[in-house]
Amino acid sequence: MSDTKTSLDSVVSIVYITPENAVFEEKNHFLTLQLTTTKEDGTSETANYDRVFLHRSFPYDHPEAYISVQDGDKNEIGMIAEIGQFPDSTASLLRGELARKYYSPVITAIHSVKDRYGYAYLHVATDSGEMDITLRDASRSMARVDERRVIITDIDGNRYDIPDITKLDRKSFRRIELYL
Amino acid sequence: MLHENWYFDPAKPDTVPAILHDILDKKGILCDDIRLVCKTDINRDLVRCDNYILATDEEIILLSGSSSAVENAGRNLLPGRRARTQFQELSWDVLPLQDIVECKMEEQLSSGRITAKMESGVYELVANLSNTYKDDAYQAVKFLNQLKKEKKITPAEESKTKQRADQFCPKCGNRYVDAERKICPKCLDRGKILSRIGVFLGKYKLSIAAVAATLILSSALGIIAPYVSSGFYYDEVLNDSGSFYGQLLLVLGIVIGTKLLNLVVGMINSIVSSTVAAKLVYDLKTVIFNSIERLSLSFFTNKQTGGLMTQVNRDASTIYWFFCDGLPYFLINIVQILIIVVIMLIMNPLLTLLSLVTVPLVFVLIKKLFSHMDALHSRRYNRSRRMNAILNDALSGIRVVKAFAKEKEEVSRFNRSSVAVADAERKSSRFSTVAFPGLNLLLYVSNIVILGVGGWMVIDGKLSYGTLMTFIAYMNMVYSPMFFFADMTYMAADSMNAMNRLIEIMDAKADVEERPDAIRLPHPEGRVEFRDVEFSYEKNRKIIDGVSFEIEPGRVIGIVGHTGAGKSTLANLLIRLYDTAAGGIYIDGINVRDIAFEDLRKNIAIVSQETYLFMGTILDNIKYANPDATEEEVLRASKAAGAHDFIIKLPDAYATQIGVGYKDLSGGERQRISIARAILRNPKILILDEATAAMDTQTERKIQTALEKLIVGRTTIMIAHRLSTLRDADKLIVIENGKMPEFGTHLELLKKKGIYHKLYKLQLEAMKNIGIEE
Ligand SMILES: Nc1ncnc2c1ncn2[C@@H]1O[C@H](COP(=O)(O)OP(=O)(O)OP(=O)(O)O)[C@@H](O)[C@H]1O
Ligand SMILES: [Mg+2]
Repeated sequence: MSDTKTSLDSVVSIVYITPENAVFEEKNHFLTLQLTTTKEDGTSETANYDRVFLHRSFPYDHPEAYISVQDGDKNEIGMIAEIGQFPDSTASLLRGELARKYYSPVITAIHSVKDRYGYAYLHVATDSGEMDITLRDASRSMARVDERRVIITDIDGNRYDIPDITKLDRKSFRRIELYL
Repeated sequence: MLHENWYFDPAKPDTVPAILHDILDKKGILCDDIRLVCKTDINRDLVRCDNYILATDEEIILLSGSSSAVENAGRNLLPGRRARTQFQELSWDVLPLQDIVECKMEEQLSSGRITAKMESGVYELVANLSNTYKDDAYQAVKFLNQLKKEKKITPAEESKTKQRADQFCPKCGNRYVDAERKICPKCLDRGKILSRIGVFLGKYKLSIAAVAATLILSSALGIIAPYVSSGFYYDEVLNDSGSFYGQLLLVLGIVIGTKLLNLVVGMINSIVSSTVAAKLVYDLKTVIFNSIERLSLSFFTNKQTGGLMTQVNRDASTIYWFFCDGLPYFLINIVQILIIVVIMLIMNPLLTLLSLVTVPLVFVLIKKLFSHMDALHSRRYNRSRRMNAILNDALSGIRVVKAFAKEKEEVSRFNRSSVAVADAERKSSRFSTVAFPGLNLLLYVSNIVILGVGGWMVIDGKLSYGTLMTFIAYMNMVYSPMFFFADMTYMAADSMNAMNRLIEIMDAKADVEERPDAIRLPHPEGRVEFRDVEFSYEKNRKIIDGVSFEIEPGRVIGIVGHTGAGKSTLANLLIRLYDTAAGGIYIDGINVRDIAFEDLRKNIAIVSQETYLFMGTILDNIKYANPDATEEEVLRASKAAGAHDFIIKLPDAYATQIGVGYKDLSGGERQRISIARAILRNPKILILDEATAAMDTQTERKIQTALEKLIVGRTTIMIAHRLSTLRDADKLIVIENGKMPEFGTHLELLKKKGIYHKLYKLQLEAMKNIGIEE
């Protein structure tokens, strides 16, 4: 086992972005990065990115770890192993950026489900108010990503999050249980 | 009927939504100066509210606020339906147009944002939006950049944005799920669906009349029977004051006669109706399969139609059930109940009311029970579907499972799922064993009530004994179809869904369509030209961006480029699996869009990267493209493709069965069969997409030598990663990110010292490293 590990390490290297080599800042709702890399000959080089984008590698299992930092063309600059490594101020910047990127309403209650000819109309309460959602093929639109979490994708591709279905009230749960 | 047309109509500035007039007034901005209005639904702090992006010639105004406490979200509702409250301003920001370099729409997961790069190098956030507004945002960005560069907005001719208000269902205010079809499933009534399917019934008028006649006859007989065997029997035959006293045989004769007649009528009915239903389903399937054939690939990728065919089959049988079984039985019962109730009322109004008073209660109860049953059932169905999927998955991937020694995990995965199925099954059967006897008890109670009250009436002399018996028989006739009615409502909903799905397929518009006046081109010369071709699989993500080149008839062109660059896509466009978004592709100077499908497909053959072999013999597979080919032609083609040598070694040679459960071929063998298939077609234009990539170099060389002779006189497009494969190409095209940065001969491209040069050097080095010099 350890053999494969070392050999893989020598073949592919992951550039980690750490508090030691990186400075994140927020300007106008956007994230910037100053990254210092040390080259083989020992000299170091600093690159400035006026906008960087964050992308979760494992969005549900590890929402705060293995965060890919990318430039505007989706090329990976490096990887953040764990947001918690960074001092609180930077960590909250990163969390804010992730929250913007992965913005999706969290469903807190389901008031009604109307299934008509293959389309389902949901009236729900979310953390950003009451909403009407239209789904094409309800059972396919509701994906259970783990035991508790359900992601609903509507006809326009908007996602809605139910982080824990067991925390929904009984009636709400009953309304969607069928499709799960 | 344009409501608040918030969206773009730069030509008509008066389309600034009325709700904004006051605030614009206050800020001293004339509606006439507004060039663009775009609404979004999330503000810059990620709060759901009404955001407007307004643009004048000088500036972009970012206005956010709310028109009612919590505005819509997700599928937005028709604007006109909202109460027109005052617009509450939350924020008002201005970006001078001259300070902006470029606006950009950035897609995120479930949302998007419009950003602006400023002259100073900083970025500004213009707006946030949910995916619902994505298309609008792309338009807005396009227009904003236009406004910045050209000082005016010129919307494209076919811009659909103007009829924005048309995209909403006028009845419920929801946006149409499909803007093209303008049908709102929420408001769609059953009558409409039935009438669409009913059109198919028109052909069978006579049979349907026969069905109707038998239906009426059998309900009449059904009503007479209880009267004869109870009321009439007791009062007129058994009673010594009756007019038929003692004539037992006559009565038995009548009873048997009506029963027999009813049986015959019933048989006629089911024979006729099942024939009609079967024909109807056949007609439907024909239409559906025809439309499926007509539809383009993107329909299938869009709808994730993994099991499209099974779905169509299932839907058709659901419809069959509905027309053959459900509907006739339903109609019979309805008519019968109506007549019975009338007769009962005439016989004794008081008892009638008494006996029917529980009908609504029973019906509602049954419906409730069924809806719960339905829930249990569909849970069981879903779980067993998942179990089957797991099973299927594990079995078809058995090699991987074994290779990684994962049998145990697979078994436990299956067990978990099968336990879930068993659990659902247990719950649903327990429910039905409790619920149904309970309901029967309820029916029994109302029987007792009537027996009591009616018995008392008989003793009192107000009612004859026979009438009471008839009455009870009728009452049970009213109650007995209740189960069916309740069930029917769900089955009907099911078949409505099925019909709607079929109608959706029939209505779906093919985006690659043969023109009615398509040009015939049976013998093209083979000149191929791409002119400024643009294409994207998904909206707004260009895969091909401005590719132009020309191939002289009979010449060989090679396409190289990194993986995912868009090479196979170019081939797909030429054979018209998809249509270009802009620009055109021409064969002999004729746009492929105008060429008849038959000629297009006959004259172009493709050996695609993913070789697909059908279930059947090797011979079937080779002859697939040209079923009339002779055996000799097949042999020649497979020799040319280098396939003959391995085929002839198989015990059954060309008759070897391939496909699931049969002989498995190697990747290179499959490729050779598909090359043979293409060669046999004898096309004018040949596309080889990595056709020899899975073979060893020696076999490749051999096939290439054969191909070299074959491609003489044929326009050939070769796509390859191994540059040595392309050494015979007259010209080479380099594709990079959908663009075509380099075009020329091998030597020209080497001199250019660009991408091709780099690729070539890399491959050469790789050769040198293993000690081969070219
Ligand atoms: N049906 C499809 N729907 C959406 N995107 C697609 C589809 N087919 C291909 N793509 C995307 O289009 C791009 C170009 O694909 P294409 O198959 O043309 O690449 P290619 O140059 O042939 O690559 P390769 O050398 O690996 O065969 C890729 O990014 C791919 O993901
Ligand atoms: Mg390809």
